[in-house]
Amino acid sequence: MEKEILTLVTFFPLVGVVLLTILPRDRHDSIKGFALIISFVTFLFSTWLYYMFDPLGNGMQMEVNIPWITSLGISYHMGVDGISLLLIMLTTILTFLSILASWNSIKTGVKGYYISMLLLETGMIGVFCALDLFMFYVFWEVMLVPMYFIIGLWGGPRKIYAAIKFVLFTMFGSLLMLVGIIYILFEYQKYSGVFSFDMLKIIGELPLSYQAQLWLFGAFALAFAIKVPLFPFHTWLPDAHVQAPTAGSVILAGVLLKMGTYGFIRICLPLFPDATITYLPYICILSLIAIIYGALVAMVQRDVKSLVAFSSVSHMGFVMLGMFALNTQGIQGSIIQMINHGISTGGLFLLVGMLYERRHTRLIEDFGGIARVMPAYAAFFMIITLSSIGLPFTNGFVGEFLILLGAFHKNNVYGIIGATGVVFAACYMLWMYQRVFFGKVTNDENKKLLDLSWREKVILVPLVLLVFWIGVYPKPLFEILKPSVNLVVEQMERAEAVRLDDDYRVEEKLTTVEVGNNELSFDTEEQSDE
Amino acid sequence: MDFTLPQYDPFRMLPEIFMLLWALWVFTYDLITKRQKEAAVGYMALIGPAVPLLFIVFYLTGLLPESWRYGGSGFGAMFFNDTTAMFFKIVFLGAAIMAIGSSFGITKQKIVNHRGEFYGLLLFSTLGMMFLASSNELLTLYIGLELTTIPLFVLAAFFKDDKLSVEAGVKYFVIGAFSSALLLYGMSFLYGLSGTTGLVQMKMNMAVVFLSYRDIGVILLGGIVLLVAGVGFKLALPPFHQWAPDVYEGSPTPIAAFLSVGSKAAGLVAFGKIFVNGLMAFFGPEQAPNDWGMLVGLLAILAMVIGNVVAIRQTNIKRMLAYSSIAQAGYIMIGMVVLNEHGMASVAYYIFAYMFANMGAFAAVAIFEDQTGSCQIEDYKGLAKTSPVFAVSLSLFLLSLVGIPPLAGFLAKYKVFAAAISMATVDPSASWLYWLVGVGVLTAVFSLFYYANVMRLMFFSNEEPRHKITYSVPALCVLLLGLAGIVVFGIYAEPILKLVRTIPADFGLYIP
Amino acid sequence: MLFYLSLAAVLFAVGLFGVLTRRNTIGILMSLELMFNAANINFVAFNKYVWADGLIGQMFAVFIVVVAAAEAVVGLAIVLLLYRNWQGIDTDHVSVMKW
Repeated sequence: MEKEILTLVTFFPLVGVVLLTILPRDRHDSIKGFALIISFVTFLFSTWLYYMFDPLGNGMQMEVNIPWITSLGISYHMGVDGISLLLIMLTTILTFLSILASWNSIKTGVKGYYISMLLLETGMIGVFCALDLFMFYVFWEVMLVPMYFIIGLWGGPRKIYAAIKFVLFTMFGSLLMLVGIIYILFEYQKYSGVFSFDMLKIIGELPLSYQAQLWLFGAFALAFAIKVPLFPFHTWLPDAHVQAPTAGSVILAGVLLKMGTYGFIRICLPLFPDATITYLPYICILSLIAIIYGALVAMVQRDVKSLVAFSSVSHMGFVMLGMFALNTQGIQGSIIQMINHGISTGGLFLLVGMLYERRHTRLIEDFGGIARVMPAYAAFFMIITLSSIGLPFTNGFVGEFLILLGAFHKNNVYGIIGATGVVFAACYMLWMYQRVFFGKVTNDENKKLLDLSWREKVILVPLVLLVFWIGVYPKPLFEILKPSVNLVVEQMERAEAVRLDDDYRVEEKLTTVEVGNNELSFDTEEQSDE
Repeated sequence: MDFTLPQYDPFRMLPEIFMLLWALWVFTYDLITKRQKEAAVGYMALIGPAVPLLFIVFYLTGLLPESWRYGGSGFGAMFFNDTTAMFFKIVFLGAAIMAIGSSFGITKQKIVNHRGEFYGLLLFSTLGMMFLASSNELLTLYIGLELTTIPLFVLAAFFKDDKLSVEAGVKYFVIGAFSSALLLYGMSFLYGLSGTTGLVQMKMNMAVVFLSYRDIGVILLGGIVLLVAGVGFKLALPPFHQWAPDVYEGSPTPIAAFLSVGSKAAGLVAFGKIFVNGLMAFFGPEQAPNDWGMLVGLLAILAMVIGNVVAIRQTNIKRMLAYSSIAQAGYIMIGMVVLNEHGMASVAYYIFAYMFANMGAFAAVAIFEDQTGSCQIEDYKGLAKTSPVFAVSLSLFLLSLVGIPPLAGFLAKYKVFAAAISMATVDPSASWLYWLVGVGVLTAVFSLFYYANVMRLMFFSNEEPRHKITYSVPALCVLLLGLAGIVVFGIYAEPILKLVRTIPADFGLYIP
Repeated sequence: MLFYLSLAAVLFAVGLFGVLTRRNTIGILMSLELMFNAANINFVAFNKYVWADGLIGQMFAVFIVVVAAAEAVVGLAIVLLLYRNWQGIDTDHVSVMKW
């Protein structure tokens, strides 16, 4: 079973796609039901995967490696480590919740919608499992099409513009990545004599010249940075988020953005360590700009959904900052923050969607005093907001704290600027909360609003549980992440050491790195729990 | 002046002989049934390409008895069955089958009196392509090319009272004959310089001439330019592309499809045989004079840019597909200028994947045109609501043309780019290939604009659709065949890739 | 030999000029024939003066003549269609679609 579990998790949604294609178009209830069951079973499979995963094991687990197109060196190679495991869990749970959340809001083209959702799920899980560059690219592109339709068919007023912009941006980046992948293929063939896209082999064996690394890092990083999105490439994101239907935004923010950061940590860092060191300051600066810029723009938004969208830009800036701190705390924090962002921003989009279903507006000025009409809703919104801000005991704190710790280790300036971002986040989120929920009910239409239904509570409760679980007891996550993160950090340190060989301060720097290493990450965490 | 005739082996021409007889039989069948049977003629015509196709596929998969030696020379270099020949014959026959399958609608409504001629000429054109694929010699190559195009002149102008169709016929005829003349004049110089028309012999003789004079000379240069122009017209490579949209728009849709796939593949074979095989010595800086590689690379860039950019503002779907096929020819030419063990293989796989996707897209357009009489992209609005199968399959064909995995079109683009990069990483003087890849990548993004536009209209439009599509059995089969092709050969491409891997050896690009 | 090659070149140039400038389709057809014949002359001349130990060039020329005749037949038929539809054979008529 150990061999098949990954294939099962990845392609089980496809079974649902086939099933839904057969069902007649007007049987809405059975279509929804089947989609829900399929996504739930996928989630169960992923929890099974979680239990089968050995947190002490090094490297990839549950590996499958079957030749696929042998003449091109393409193989069906899948495997998970701690990082991908957590992201797969996130994907399955968010897909399940967003299918539940679209129960009433999607009224036209029900069949196509759920087919797209399940297709998307396969693509996303595939990206996180693939250990073959070619397969990685295939899954990466496959999810483009269902997302295009989800935004373009069931989205808001400017949906077509948003959908096409999203696809063009992503496609441009990914084609550059394709060129990079092909280049690596031939470099590897020159080096070893065989064609292979095997990520592990390429990372482990292939020596790339510094010059080549610079170019390749550029090609890959552009594709990933567009997806993240890093500061100058973020313009597609607000459009896509605001126009997409609720479930689309949840998946987009919760999972698709993580594919970019996952690409960085899985491919860019280990494969181009020297180039990473060179590009590091630029990427850090861009992420800092993203943090501040995202926060400032979020503050002036009138639409709650675009506020959340811009807060995403800011949060993903944190993730990038932590990752490029290149130390244990930073990278661990950045992965935890990926999960957190999925939970909290996903939750916010769900909540905004619920309000939109009732009032058909998202403008902050239309609301006020909602807390009196919908107390349960306000409570849930509060918890998720606090988690997004990063209050202690919530998941956001763990991630942001570690990221800032890592950033301070790297460079005090990064840490200081990053910390201001946290303050800004508190400002715009709480200000928005105050304007929407407190005060008198000024608008008559708001007086009739119904509080959450049991279905909506079912959607939100797991998220709230996750918020507190990660916030109070994150140890299991760190244990899962530890081997994979250590591997990345070691690789980066080796590269840094080689780079600094000629530097007269080589010893000084190495010692600081060691100090950073000795503070084992979950120790620091346990302190922060109390 | 002694002259020995090469050994003649009609067995190796069995598929061609069958095609010839069957085409004549289709003519007669239509006559003896007094032109009354509309569908029967079509089904009869389908047998024409289907039997040779099965024969070749059986031969390649080893299902035929050992003693049936189909591969090898049938008449010296004039008729030679190597992998290239057999592979491209599969492409031609496949395109012919899909074109005939999508013609049932037209022969029912518009062509009342000349169904036999319609199908028979289509078969003759395919026959020409098959000869072309087997020739390793300028004379048979030329005759194959003419046998391909002359029936197509007639087919393009087949609607005798439709001004658009006649105009397409006139334009295609003038351009076709003009390009043959250029080609011939160029060939005469090749003959004058090498004294032979066999391509392999020509390659050796030319190398000797070049080595003894250390100069390529004005005459060969002129010959190369004439040949590039001649084949460029057939392939619709810019700046020789203006005829393509007009001809595609005017001629019957299945014929436009056949032009864009079969005739294009034939042009590619001709180009590959003349340049990649015959004039290989005059390709790149390594071999000293760098004469046609860069020139063709430039045409490829032009094709990708012009094709993809102009396609964006087309309102007629046939014109849009015409420009898209101009752009696709540009991508194919990237593989063509890569003279190593990947180049021609990628070209072959590309044209194979392109055959399914483009024939499928044109088949969908033909189905739509048969029922509504319109080719305007506007009229596709909201089709997803009434005819989801049609909308989904047309979208999949277009997505394959863009190159979205896991469809076959993606693997094709991948192969072409990979071929270029493989050459550029090894040979620093070929680093201009990176530019080709760069332009290819950029324009592929552009191409998404107009392909996605059709999908947008079909799926995202709020207007009530004006039409509902009903399918006839052959048309549905063609759609399904195309879908099966792009999906199956995108995911399980191994057998085809294995087959195309030996193709560069036929062009003397490497020794297996 | 130079004489024959020059003759062919002149014929080719005249044909090319004719195809590009003529408005009358019959004129275009005739110019095309000139171009074909330029190639013919080239083949025969090369065969006679350079590669005299074979008949390839002359054979090629014979084939060209045959094929060109076939082409002309189809061409004339299409010109006839042109006449039927527009009552004239000038290419000016043929501009329903932009070139």
